[in-house]
Amino acid sequence: MDNRKYNIYFHTHTVSGIIICVLLYVIFFAGSFAFFKDDIAAWQKNSSYVASWQSTPRDFNGILDSLGRHHQLKGRDFELFLNKNGVAGYISMLGSNDSIVKKEAKALALAKAKATPAGEEKKRGRGRGRGGEDDAAYFTYDFAHKKEVNYEKDYDMGEFLYRLHFLAPLNVIRLPIPLGAPFGYLLAGIVSFIFLFALITGLLVHWDKMVSNFFTFRPWAKWKTVWTDLHTALGVIQFPFQFLFAVTGVVLIVNSVLLAPFTKFVYNGDDKQLYADLQTADNTTYEYTYTPLTTSFDLNQFLTQVEKKWAQSDINRVFIRNYQDANMYVIVLAAPHAEASFSGTGKLVYRVRDQRILQETSPTQHSTYVSKVRGLVYHLHFGDFGGRPLRVMYFVLGLMGCVVIISGILIWLVARDKNSTPSRERKFNFWTANIFLAVCLSMLPVTAFTMTALLFLKNAGQSDIFHLYFYSWLVLGVYFIARKNIALTNKQNLLLSAVLCFLLPLLDGVVRNNWFWNTFTQGHFDILFIDLLFLGLSIISTVVLVKMNQRKEVVTPQPVAVGA
Amino acid sequence: MPANKKYLTTSPWLRLSKIMAGTVGGYLVMISLHLLLTRVFPRENVVATAFFTGYILWAFLLLWAFVAKNVWQVWLTYAGLSLLFSLPYLIS
Repeated sequence: MDNRKYNIYFHTHTVSGIIICVLLYVIFFAGSFAFFKDDIAAWQKNSSYVASWQSTPRDFNGILDSLGRHHQLKGRDFELFLNKNGVAGYISMLGSNDSIVKKEAKALALAKAKATPAGEEKKRGRGRGRGGEDDAAYFTYDFAHKKEVNYEKDYDMGEFLYRLHFLAPLNVIRLPIPLGAPFGYLLAGIVSFIFLFALITGLLVHWDKMVSNFFTFRPWAKWKTVWTDLHTALGVIQFPFQFLFAVTGVVLIVNSVLLAPFTKFVYNGDDKQLYADLQTADNTTYEYTYTPLTTSFDLNQFLTQVEKKWAQSDINRVFIRNYQDANMYVIVLAAPHAEASFSGTGKLVYRVRDQRILQETSPTQHSTYVSKVRGLVYHLHFGDFGGRPLRVMYFVLGLMGCVVIISGILIWLVARDKNSTPSRERKFNFWTANIFLAVCLSMLPVTAFTMTALLFLKNAGQSDIFHLYFYSWLVLGVYFIARKNIALTNKQNLLLSAVLCFLLPLLDGVVRNNWFWNTFTQGHFDILFIDLLFLGLSIISTVVLVKMNQRKEVVTPQPVAVGA
Repeated sequence: MPANKKYLTTSPWLRLSKIMAGTVGGYLVMISLHLLLTRVFPRENVVATAFFTGYILWAFLLLWAFVAKNVWQVWLTYAGLSLLFSLPYLIS
């Protein structure tokens, strides 16, 4: 490789890396914990999913019945999206296809809107609403407790970290011009794409010396050498893992960048057809006939039958069309368990009138090209194809990504910390690194602190979690920025992590009697796992802290950075 | 050691031009190529393939804008390729 190209790769890698490093760290850190989203939720609520999910019978008829008490259900379309853990689902009841019912509903909705002053309207669900035209309802339902879930009240730390990892909290920032996606998602997408670029340039920088650099690790050399070796070796080991996350990350968060032109030019603006082709929706219209259904229909029984038939898969979507009309249809979509088939979508179209199955594709037998690609994107990103061991491996790789980012920032700083660099520039570089590291490194203690604090807060909701997490992050961040000492930031954060990560399982035992042996004997493995995870993180922090102190006794300490 | 400055762009306008050529130009080449492919292969398969090939190709096209010796050459190439790939649409 000639010198010119090498330097260009080097520079583009540096610039793209330093631009995204903080946000990428947040994404990697929160994303790694998000692999254990359900476990964290179970831990916080102190109710184990593992123990209850197999035994939870899902009463779909009950949902329809309770909706029927307040709404005229005739001729409506329903869409049920069932969560992976099987105990909750997102339900939407759309407007009726029956023009009379529709008219009544509209009048009712208008009367209701008049009765309640503007702005005080009760919000249901997560804003998939389509205006106040009819009385459509959207909500999340908890099958285990047989109640509607209030999103803000039932918000948990798992959901928080999951949504933080695609920067959803930043969606509150409104863009002056609409760009097709909320600000947070858009930013996460851009970071993900720049990350892809940084990965490619990073690989090219090391291309010629890939093999020799890979086996180079000089832990007793200067700090800068240690960071360089760490950055190179870990970066190369993780390259495939990070590459797939960069690509699937963009796909999952801002794919409209790609889909918009396809919709416009290939599908002539028919986005419904595009989404149907990509198997994310069903766009078949079933005509409403205005003749009542004469046969009776039991949704629970029907879905149990389908579940039995497709043993190695989970029903994830159920669409009901023209409820109680002679032309009523039920469409069931299912995803196979990853060990049965990596991709594939099961689809069953059922006409209630004559109890006939009009179309059936088994989830495990046939899989189209599109579904194979989709399977690849989802499974690789969510790491849900190898049980807990795989998720632990993903978690470790994700945190190693954080290490690569931190070492990258440090290399960037130290490489510029020379007498030949103008002092104004050195000052700027130091402050940049100082702020970046204060923000990044305080994430672990803040996470452990928030979760521990939640042990003492009964019924903590979304705002409580937001306050605990973001305020403690702000306080700790500002404190470390003000101390102007990167070595101190690192050391005190390790100390805080060691203590707080240890307190988490300890206080879980003291406050809720969830000692390791108790959760183990009760089979609450998800709660046990989170306790063990944080104990492990505490041990690692302690080991690093001890090793760092030992090293100082052997080698003369290198000043990490000059406090400018 | 930071990258050697003698190989890097010094003019901010030239740098902006490279970034624009890489992002906007690269995007146009990438998307027009995939749109062209829908003429040959089933459209939904092309869309699905683009999930991977699209973004990766775009990232490489962005890189080439920095590596190329002359940014005008990049602009010309990207404009030419985009035009070439969208010919079937422009004709029909």
